[in-house]
Amino acid sequence: MDVMNSGESDLMGRVRATRVGRSIWRTPKKVTPRDRAAGHWSSFALHIYPVKVRKAELGFKYSWYLGVISTVLFGSLVVSGVWLMFFFVPSPGQAYTNIQTLQTEVPFGQYLRNVHRWSAHLMVLTVAMHMAKVFYRGAYKAPREFNWVIGVVLLVLTLLMSFTGYLLPWDQLAYWAVTVGTEMAAYVPVVGDRVQSLLLGGNTVGQATLLRFYVLHVAVLPLAIVVMLTFHLWRWRKDSMLDFDRGEPDA
Amino acid sequence: MPEKKLMNKNSPKDVVTDKTPTASAATPVAIGRKDPALLEGRRVLGMVPGKPVAGQRKEPAEDDMVMVYPHLLVRHAVAAMSVLLLVLLVAIFFDAPLRAIANPTVTPNPEKAPWYFAALQELLAHFHPLIAGVLIPGAIILGLVALPYIDRSVFILASHRKVAVATFTTFMVVWIALTIVGFAFRGPNWGWVWPWQEWHGEL
Amino acid sequence: MSYNMKRRAFVTRVGQFGAGLVAIAGGLTSWDLLQPLPTSGFGGKVRSIPPGAVPDEGVIEVPAARSYLGKVDGEIVAFSEKCTHLGCRVPYCESSSQFECPCHGSAFNRVGDYLTGPAPRGMDQHPVEVGDDGLLYIDTGSKILGPAPGENLHDIAPTGPSCVAEGE
Repeated sequence: MDVMNSGESDLMGRVRATRVGRSIWRTPKKVTPRDRAAGHWSSFALHIYPVKVRKAELGFKYSWYLGVISTVLFGSLVVSGVWLMFFFVPSPGQAYTNIQTLQTEVPFGQYLRNVHRWSAHLMVLTVAMHMAKVFYRGAYKAPREFNWVIGVVLLVLTLLMSFTGYLLPWDQLAYWAVTVGTEMAAYVPVVGDRVQSLLLGGNTVGQATLLRFYVLHVAVLPLAIVVMLTFHLWRWRKDSMLDFDRGEPDA
Repeated sequence: MPEKKLMNKNSPKDVVTDKTPTASAATPVAIGRKDPALLEGRRVLGMVPGKPVAGQRKEPAEDDMVMVYPHLLVRHAVAAMSVLLLVLLVAIFFDAPLRAIANPTVTPNPEKAPWYFAALQELLAHFHPLIAGVLIPGAIILGLVALPYIDRSVFILASHRKVAVATFTTFMVVWIALTIVGFAFRGPNWGWVWPWQEWHGEL
Repeated sequence: MSYNMKRRAFVTRVGQFGAGLVAIAGGLTSWDLLQPLPTSGFGGKVRSIPPGAVPDEGVIEVPAARSYLGKVDGEIVAFSEKCTHLGCRVPYCESSSQFECPCHGSAFNRVGDYLTGPAPRGMDQHPVEVGDDGLLYIDTGSKILGPAPGENLHDIAPTGPSCVAEGE
């Protein structure tokens, strides 16, 4: 007999009251704040959130929701990106034709590519704005300094993600932007030339470069972003309960 | 009771030093100002040595806090769905660009980097690549990383940290201006064009 | 107690040292693993044209080697097409007899000396040698850095209007 959900009359309530239902949802019926907190703690999906936040953090004005928007865009990029992977071979002989086929023959192929492209541009924008907003809010102050540093790392990773993805269609835009971009690396003192040839996999943008950028774009960098983002959110969750004494004389 | 006082959420900002309440109110910055051992003469149930792990903090007032579920979650859900809707709509009306197949023997003129590197590209046209392509971006990243360790005041209001805000704002304005110039105002041979006459921006 | 703590500190130190060693070894191995392999075609020695076909004034393009063959003081050299600034292909402008880069406006004269623009030096060259078959071979795998701006500059006046001025 289920104590929590007994007396529930809607369909969902009855499903959750079954033996199977109870094995899936451990969240109790939400009535009191205590119940809600208990439900929150036992929910896997919600464990990245704190149970309570300060009222001041709720509104649009506080954060413009740029952090959550960036995260959502990253999700959109992962989903659309995985779909695109089904249609793409990272080789100079095939990449461009793959994109053309995707756009002209694959149902919703062009749409998929559009979603990926615009999400990527928007994500660069929102991550940069997120950083600016956090600066003006003073949210990088102690004890949250290191979360700001992680944020900077995430910004750099976002730019690298976008840049490595830029080469993949293997069109003129891609080829020359990456030629110029990797040529810049050669100016790094001492190791520049080695770094450049490491990125290119040769002495010019070619097959090896495309493969390297592809691997970075679909495996290495997303993984790095997920790891850093997890850390970032964990720190945010830990610190969100704090109400800092900023010592504002007139605040 | 003193220990009751310690636990009180609405006690003065600096509970450790409330032995001298007037001094505490006059000097807002309180990190590490008093040794916790100065609580002599009071009955303390227990004390953890050292500073609190999260730095100086005040206890949030109980009525200042709200449940994340539903208050924050519902807002986040709306924000998430709005931005997804925006992307899904934009993707219906605007196609991602695809130029001619890569050709190593023809450099397009102008040759444009993605918009988020347009500021760098603009700098590259004016300075030696070591400066514009390595030192400036390196300095920007290092500067951003070091920011919270340089600006160590606890104040958050813009009026209390004019230098930091002015520096950051100047950087942002210059960077955005360079980005716009590099993105929209540069044409063949990186010469100046007016975007309403010739459009060379690439997304 | 102090004996135990010393032992513990020692074991910790050994663990940290080992982890550091593994990280360094992994880093160096990856660095070596990812170095590009030598290639044939572009990136190796590219067979081109007989020496007699190289013009005395002006240059001739060898697309397979991404180079121009020309003569400096009577000697045959191969100029790399890659701009020394940021690697754009530098087209040769017939009307002015100069190399003029479309990307950021660098220009070089017929023998690859730096004239103007953000490029840090004159045009790079690839070594050229005459093979057994009497043809020129351009070694695109190695690079001779171009002369610094102003260094033994050949005073060659442009033969006509610049291509850059007309735009595309």
